[in-house]
Amino acid sequence: MQLFRDEEHLGRWLEGRDDGPGATLAPDQLWRLASAWYQDRLGPRWHRPSPEAAQGLFAAIGLTGDFWDLDPSGDSPGIIEGPTPEE
Amino acid sequence: MDEVANQVRLYLYRRFIEAGAPPSAGETAEALDLDPAAAEDAFRRLAEERVIVLEPGTLDVWMAAPLSARPTAFRVDAAERGRWWANCVWDGLGVLAMLDADGTVTTRCPDCDEDLGLAVKARRLAPTDTIGHFLVPAARWWENIGFT
Repeated sequence: MQLFRDEEHLGRWLEGRDDGPGATLAPDQLWRLASAWYQDRLGPRWHRPSPEAAQGLFAAIGLTGDFWDLDPSGDSPGIIEGPTPEE
Repeated sequence: MDEVANQVRLYLYRRFIEAGAPPSAGETAEALDLDPAAAEDAFRRLAEERVIVLEPGTLDVWMAAPLSARPTAFRVDAAERGRWWANCVWDGLGVLAMLDADGTVTTRCPDCDEDLGLAVKARRLAPTDTIGHFLVPAARWWENIGFT
């Protein structure tokens, strides 16, 4: 996830790509997402949220639609076994 | 996550935050009085559970989200608490959220390459005109977590 100066800069950057348009987050959404996702990471009993919990967290921040669909039957962020990450 | 893996997770994060770099499996074994093989196994299991990401073919920690052992385009500065690399801008703010600390996240606009910064003051994000952008849909983040 990257940070752009504004919508105009993002639009210009996307013009040269064929894998967009992706999804944008307003500053408030970005901060709420970071806080909700990481605030308990150092807790003694932290564990990865279930796909349902993660999806609910996204929805609470207004991140809904196909782009944010974790596919509960498949490969969601860090929950289901998947291929070894490549650089 | 079993008890040993959880102990290793907590030590790994604590050392990463304190030292600015993650500990090795050997250092972790020594610190927690574990058999080296047990610490190595815990590193592998944490990677399998996607708690951490290892450098390919090694037991060296690459990512312990939101922290990155590799230099990245996202620098986090929490004043007296320390400075770290984050995996992305989400993770940059995530470092400050994780530490419950004020600080800054600096990066560059991918379009114009100018410096950009986000500031957290009194545990709130200071007003900014910048926007965050995800290119990869959520269901595909782990197909290539480095790119994501």
